[in-house]
Amino acid sequence: MEKVVADPRPAKQPWNKSSKLASFTGGRGFADATLITLAFLLAAVVFGLLLSVLWSVVSAGAGAMSPQFLYQNNRYISTTTSLDYGGVGHAILGTLWLVLLATMVALPLGLAIAVYLTQSQSKLRNLVRSITQALAGLPSVVSGLFVLSIISFLGAQKSGIFGALALFPLMLPTVARVAEEALRLVPADLRLAALGLGAPNYRAFFQVILPAAKSGIITALLLGLARVVGETAPLILTIQANNGTNLNPFDGGVATLPTYIYGFISAGYASSITRAWGASLVLLILVGILFITARLLTADKKKKKAKK
Amino acid sequence: MPKEAVRRKLGTGVLNRGDRLFFGITSAASYFAFILVALILVFLIAQAFPALKDQGLAFVYGSTWEVTPEKAVMQIGPMLYGSVLIALLGVLLATPMAIATAYLIVFILPKSPAKLATNLIDLLAALPSVIIGLWGVLVFTPIAQGWADFLHKNLGWIPLFATDKGTTSLNSSPFIAGWIVAVMIVPIITSVTREIFSQFDRELINGALALGATRWTVFRRVILPTASGGITGGVLLGLGRAIGETVAIYYVLQLSMKINFFQILEPRGGAIASWILSRFGEATEAEFHGLMAAGLVIFITTLVINLIANIIVNRAQPWRK
Repeated sequence: MEKVVADPRPAKQPWNKSSKLASFTGGRGFADATLITLAFLLAAVVFGLLLSVLWSVVSAGAGAMSPQFLYQNNRYISTTTSLDYGGVGHAILGTLWLVLLATMVALPLGLAIAVYLTQSQSKLRNLVRSITQALAGLPSVVSGLFVLSIISFLGAQKSGIFGALALFPLMLPTVARVAEEALRLVPADLRLAALGLGAPNYRAFFQVILPAAKSGIITALLLGLARVVGETAPLILTIQANNGTNLNPFDGGVATLPTYIYGFISAGYASSITRAWGASLVLLILVGILFITARLLTADKKKKKAKK
Repeated sequence: MPKEAVRRKLGTGVLNRGDRLFFGITSAASYFAFILVALILVFLIAQAFPALKDQGLAFVYGSTWEVTPEKAVMQIGPMLYGSVLIALLGVLLATPMAIATAYLIVFILPKSPAKLATNLIDLLAALPSVIIGLWGVLVFTPIAQGWADFLHKNLGWIPLFATDKGTTSLNSSPFIAGWIVAVMIVPIITSVTREIFSQFDRELINGALALGATRWTVFRRVILPTASGGITGGVLLGLGRAIGETVAIYYVLQLSMKINFFQILEPRGGAIASWILSRFGEATEAEFHGLMAAGLVIFITTLVINLIANIIVNRAQPWRK
């Protein structure tokens, strides 16, 4: 009887044939190990840089921290004044206020654009998406120059409202893009089911899609905030510095954390640099609070879903 | 009925009043995006016009910037070139790091470290550029100077790493500015890439692995080709951000009107947005218009990059239509 002998050659694997690395070294393990090691190394560089930034800000900023640094303003403080006096209270309030003003316009508008892009049947959607994405690449300094040219056109004085206006075009595309992603992740069946039950489009949106996309919308808001909270160049161009607290957006200078940092780095003295680090730490904490809040909200929602 | 046809049909029905209002508001908001871009263009052109008329086309490619009360010569060639050089360096450094990070997060790491890594990357995206600039000039520059010395010492015969005679300290160079820009755009590219990776059909990958493909092969032949459109989109987003980056580069780069073509370790370079910032404080009337013209150039450059980016991205992701 003829014996069937198994072909001793390994089975051909068309996908491995293309892997030069694997065939070159003769081992598949080697290629895998290289890939994973390289990925870990490159990622380590990223996290190394990130941790270096965080550690520098925390360690150097801690030197400036004290209660009065958080609530006092910058009146009668020169670049060489001892760190026992003066602080960033005015700049914290100014930053929050300007960002809030910008958000009040950018969030509804961005959300409306996202809705238009996902819910309407308009033929212009691709064009709108392109223009929104193109706006996302708007350099912050250009936004500042744009508002500056408005100021010069109106013959107006620089003031807080113009700072907020300069932040708005930077925030809008981020909110619109992330909100669109969030709305897109809601299964189309949900919307079709709502429409099928006779709901008009707006109720389908507010009662079905929006709740389902809530965490994504919050992410959109937070990424938008993160995009503008530390923007420096537009504010340098459009608002005047102020050493005191001023929350009137139509009159006078407004202090913000980024412009405060910018000013004190430029001064260049040891104590002014420490103040800049301190203000950076405050800005970082601000961003951190926003972030953790957002993540906790998202986590809460997921937990509730799991319980059900 | 095919899905497309169903969708089209749903849109053609008679809308009730609530829906008409609903879609009216969202359309108006969307058209506002056009108006905003048009407004930016109109205002910038109006303010830039006196300078552009005065300087002619040499404004873009010339390399002199001398403003005196009698005469103003304003040209931004080296700054424009420098912006592009630094942005390319940044993208070149950031893209491998971003793809590696996204790959680890989505495919390799267990769930909770992956989540931590994602959060950290998002945090990096949120770091304000002024903080990166402060860190860049005080903490990173001394470190990167060491790297630059090493490159120059060992690879100095390559024109890319050569320096002028007499240059002793290799700080404030496009090399360092490129790293700073890379730090700022890594999160952008990572988050886009991660998004694309996480939408992968796991069965496709598991199938390839089960058939005997190595992880390397899966990465090279399955993951990268499928994701390349999205990655390109992320990279171009990063490029746009890099070209417009102002404050961080302002601190770490020695701005010079003497053009630096490719000597990335030489402590002089250009960045158009930083140039605007550096001249803005003491600008005269004529210079004010010149800086507006520089802003117009950045705006048009980034607008073109972004429009091209979108064409590529939209073509690469047909499911988005």
